[in-house]
Amino acid sequence: MSEKNLLGRRNFIKGFGAAAGVALAAPAMAVSEKADGVKWDKEVEVMIIGSGFAGLAAAIESVRQGAKDVHMFEKMSYFGGNSAINGGLYAAPGTPMQKTEGVKDSVDRMVADQVKAGRGVADEALLRHVAEHAVEGLQLTLDAGSEYHPYLQQLGGHSVARTYQTTVSCGAGITQPLYKECKRLGVKAHNRSKFEGFLVGKNGEIEGVKMRQNYHFGEDQPGEVLNIRAKRGVIMATGGFGQNVDLRMAQDPTLTAEVGCTNAPGATGEGMYEMFRLGAIPVHLAHIQSGPWASPDEGGFGYVSNYTIFNFPHSMAVHRLTGKRFMNEIADRKTRADAELSCRDEKGEAMPPLLITSYKHSKKHPNTKKVLKYDVGWKFDSVEALAKHFDVPLKPLKEQIAEYNSYVKSGDDKQFGKNMTKAKGKYIEAPFTVVRLWPKVHYCQGGVQINVKAEVKDSFTGKSIPKLYAAGEVTGGVHGVSRLGSCSIPECIVMGMTAARSVMKA
Amino acid sequence: MKKLNIVLALVFGALVSLSAQAVDQRDYHKDVIGKDCKACHDQGLKQFPSDEACLQCHDVDDLAKQTARSEEDKWQNPHNNLHYGKELPCQECHAEHKAKKPMCNNCHTFKFDKHQE
Repeated sequence: MSEKNLLGRRNFIKGFGAAAGVALAAPAMAVSEKADGVKWDKEVEVMIIGSGFAGLAAAIESVRQGAKDVHMFEKMSYFGGNSAINGGLYAAPGTPMQKTEGVKDSVDRMVADQVKAGRGVADEALLRHVAEHAVEGLQLTLDAGSEYHPYLQQLGGHSVARTYQTTVSCGAGITQPLYKECKRLGVKAHNRSKFEGFLVGKNGEIEGVKMRQNYHFGEDQPGEVLNIRAKRGVIMATGGFGQNVDLRMAQDPTLTAEVGCTNAPGATGEGMYEMFRLGAIPVHLAHIQSGPWASPDEGGFGYVSNYTIFNFPHSMAVHRLTGKRFMNEIADRKTRADAELSCRDEKGEAMPPLLITSYKHSKKHPNTKKVLKYDVGWKFDSVEALAKHFDVPLKPLKEQIAEYNSYVKSGDDKQFGKNMTKAKGKYIEAPFTVVRLWPKVHYCQGGVQINVKAEVKDSFTGKSIPKLYAAGEVTGGVHGVSRLGSCSIPECIVMGMTAARSVMKA
Repeated sequence: MKKLNIVLALVFGALVSLSAQAVDQRDYHKDVIGKDCKACHDQGLKQFPSDEACLQCHDVDDLAKQTARSEEDKWQNPHNNLHYGKELPCQECHAEHKAKKPMCNNCHTFKFDKHQE
């Protein structure tokens, strides 16, 4: 197979896709083409596809590295992707707040936590690269004006508290400042611009892309398609494919359209598909993570997700049928999601479990007021009222609360081995706040294979595809089987910065 | 000839019906704009208007003030919201020729009593 005839392998990639049952009904799938004889409508120095954390970080860092003409293209009408609606949780080792709180942490420790969650198939080199630069990435957000809660959180699967959260408890607390910084630096941001394929040079390098104008997601598309040349290269920061029901079902048939998803509607994966056409290597597409903190009582990520993430360490989750716990509430996401999904009634129907917290502790997070106000959470003055409302057997529930509180006191959870450090002194007592839990598709660990320079690897040559870079959730293999909470933002920011440095150095 | 006239009448009737359906218009815009399609369609009739079209007549800062909420809920203001600030294009929640719901309700249970679907 000739190294030069990249697109001659289109049928091979199509065959692969067909075997996986991948199909997009509409709009028509984009197609990459050779750039020979192309009439260019426009030329840019650095081209970034996607406007979430990775794209925004890449844009800022490109300018910092000397780029004069940086353009960001977003297919939706608004900027931010999933990043603008996520929990705003950023994990990093060796941060100022860790020093203040006396938390001992290290790159090695953070990587070890992630490798464990990844079930041995995470990419340790990439995890290490991200952990080593995570504080630097955090600083980028602070420089742009992001603000964080004055306390660290310890999310599931982490061995110590290392997670910052924005004061608005949302990724918008980072995307908005980064977006404003981009504008201040003169980055050109184009909305309703749909990437429709690469234009490939004679040496297999990326010369540019086809870009449809006035794109309206989900509608007919009469807009003009422009050929835009990217002088230095293209950075793909197009996010995951959680909203692509066909592709996620091809990996896991249980992830039907009925399964809720926390993602923004545009997370459909076309950018990833186009890189596969070029020869990029698919990694870990089947590892699709569900958020164990999600609620069946509201759409998407909502308010309960952040409420629950904050409260899991000092709460207990119980099966409504038994009144008993069924999991370690701060195990990694896959462990918890699987445990929650197994909560069924006698007929096998879903029975969303309850997360029970003392109001004394839950009220410290701003989302508690919101979940109560918008009827996606409940407050009870007694265990009797709680048990009656949710039809939970009272006696076993009382016994479980007493048992759990004995673990709070002793620091040793004999039921599920939960790390009780963060639960110290936080007994479960009335009044209680309660939410229902049910996992939603949240994050795709799979994507294209990259190296620590954010270069995309070609499956046929084993080398990087020239002038093509990728960062963030569109890449695969980094996290392995299960991604730890708060580890996506540092990855997106650091790899976005890395892609920028690579494109400016090439 | 009479039969032909009936057929023609039916055809024209259908055309008028289709035509009326295609250019169904909000009453408040009909009152101000009348039949001047180009008032909004700045990119030709075969495409959606640009995101700037609405802003020829409506000011986002004014709208943000009109729909402001209490301090506790200030970021639930549809015209100055937590996720996108004042930069969410009008067409994401408002459509001229068909019904549309507030985008916020994909994930939240907020109430938008004045939203006209």
